[in-house]
Amino acid sequence: MSWQRVLALMLRIVRQFRRDRRTLALILVVPVLVLSLIGYIYRGSGESTRLAVVEGNSPLARQVIALLEQTSSLHVTVMEREQALQAVGRREVDGVLVLPTLPVQPGTPLKVELILEGSQPSAAGAIISAVSRALPLAIIQTVSPDGQALQIEPRFLHGGPQFDQLDYFAPTFIGFFAFFFVFLLTSVSFLRERLQGSIERLIVSPLDRKEIVLGYMLGFTLFATVQSIVMVIFTVAVLRIHYVGELWLVAFLTFLLTVGAVNLGIFLSAFARTELQVVQFIPIVITPQGLLSGIIWPVDSLPRPLQWLAQALPLTWANEALRAVMIRGEGLDALGLHLAVLVGFAVAMAALAMVTLRREVA
Amino acid sequence: MDATVVADEVSRTFGPVRAIDRLTLEIPQGVIYGLLGPSGSGKTTFLRMVVGALRPSEGQLLVLGRTMPDRAVAARIGYMPQTAALYPDLTLRENLAFFGRIYGLRGRRKLEERVEQLASDLGLLGWVDQQLYRFSVGMLQRASLACALLHQPELLVLDEPTVGLDPVLRRSLWAHFRQLAEQGKTLLISTHTMDEAGRCDLLGFLRGGRLLASDTPAALRRQTGQADLEDAFLALAGQPGIPVGEL
Ligand SMILES: Nc1ncnc2c1ncn2[C@@H]1O[C@H](COP(=O)(O)OP(=O)(O)OP(=O)(O)O)[C@@H](O)[C@H]1O
Ligand SMILES: [Mg+2]
Repeated sequence: MSWQRVLALMLRIVRQFRRDRRTLALILVVPVLVLSLIGYIYRGSGESTRLAVVEGNSPLARQVIALLEQTSSLHVTVMEREQALQAVGRREVDGVLVLPTLPVQPGTPLKVELILEGSQPSAAGAIISAVSRALPLAIIQTVSPDGQALQIEPRFLHGGPQFDQLDYFAPTFIGFFAFFFVFLLTSVSFLRERLQGSIERLIVSPLDRKEIVLGYMLGFTLFATVQSIVMVIFTVAVLRIHYVGELWLVAFLTFLLTVGAVNLGIFLSAFARTELQVVQFIPIVITPQGLLSGIIWPVDSLPRPLQWLAQALPLTWANEALRAVMIRGEGLDALGLHLAVLVGFAVAMAALAMVTLRREVA
Repeated sequence: MDATVVADEVSRTFGPVRAIDRLTLEIPQGVIYGLLGPSGSGKTTFLRMVVGALRPSEGQLLVLGRTMPDRAVAARIGYMPQTAALYPDLTLRENLAFFGRIYGLRGRRKLEERVEQLASDLGLLGWVDQQLYRFSVGMLQRASLACALLHQPELLVLDEPTVGLDPVLRRSLWAHFRQLAEQGKTLLISTHTMDEAGRCDLLGFLRGGRLLASDTPAALRRQTGQADLEDAFLALAGQPGIPVGEL
């Protein structure tokens, strides 16, 4: 084992990337752009769900409207019945809440009508949940003898009222991008090494397989680390996501994850003969991890067989750990299992990478 | 003194294809050995086994006293593959510096001197700091050769080193090869051109993976009764399967 040779290999990779402006941009600029886009989607939205309320004359009405107006994602407008029905027909509002008009015929129930436009399930869902929260509260407040308002007082064990969706997603995006880009870049570069024949020069040189894998690992994880530092700084300083844990731990977890990704890239590149075939690995390697690793849907909410599958994916463990650090502020001591899994994955992939390199001298 | 390369009944198969078939030869130290044969005859396959990029399927192949493949002799061998096999996005200097470090050349100063010297030997002085993707085929060929010569190996294995070069450059390269041989280096060079074959000390005729003959050019001419090496080759090729010893 010669560190001089490992270093030479690492420096060569770094130099090649410095030359390759476009790839450099892919590593450093693209994640920032995507993160900005995601941030904008979550935070920049002026469009909220629009609800028309037909007030009626019940004593309830005032309370209900007041409560609905407190819901930040809901834009409430009071309208006449006819006007409201036309508005929902023209999709100017997403729903109409018709509060009862008194008196009602004896024997008929007091009716609250909710008419939903319905082509946007998320808008409909938002309205239903807001209304079903507001109505009972309004009733209690109205009948409450001393006129005291009933209040829900949330207390967060972790996170807090200021934490939103973006804060929940951001830690996993860092892991996902690091994994994705590093995997892609390593497998393409290694494939190129094969295609242009330089791998043969390496194989017949004094370099041994361990040194080749290590050199690649160091070269690429260097970029991955820079990438994840850029992403962490961007999400914290520009997107201003809320977090509690230690940022160096975030960088460290990402680093561990990418070491595995580099080795997986070397390993799988042995099974590709063209760059297009490397791209074909994306649906196999990247997509399942993107879907199942808990970025969008919590692993617990998946069907059981998919949960088992998710447990086998390194990104699942990385995401859990990243969230544990950034949202719950957990430290290294609480993440022993996660670290073990990530290290185990990296080592297993390094072993596989060396096996495929051994096949090179067939 | 043992021969630099000793092949004893070496075969190499790729599935059903016998690319090298029971090849036996010896290459003594300090000679230029030319491996001559048509396309697909197994030249590259044999050279790759000699440098340790390919494992013989059968037989024993000793290079610098070690059974190949063996990384222990890697630093004493220089290999120029048939295709350039360098990094097109790096400059010639960066390519050479990379392989220099891999081969344990120490000291920035020493490395720089070696790079300049090789570039001037090979007519690439003005190109040292250009990226290789700008190079013509002939220039790439020389860059690749520079890379093989870099660490001053005892055994040089060159796969068709002069393809794509003009006659002037070709002649100067052969003069350089001769100089290296005189310094005691051993050269194993594959070629399909007859004029180059004539410049070798020893010549092996390869066809269909079999070594038809292995001797000095003069002896081969004499044995076949042909004044021309090309005719000598054709004469031998006309009688495939004759064991070398019976010629
Ligand atoms: N990696 C490989 N897999 C399968 N077959 C191979 C492989 N390498 C070489 N061969 C086969 O071995 C035979 C000899 O090939 P080789 O490249 O050694 O010929 P060559 O004499 O170098 O030809 P050329 O002058 O065209 O370079 C050919 O039939 C070729 O198809
Ligand atoms: Mg060849």
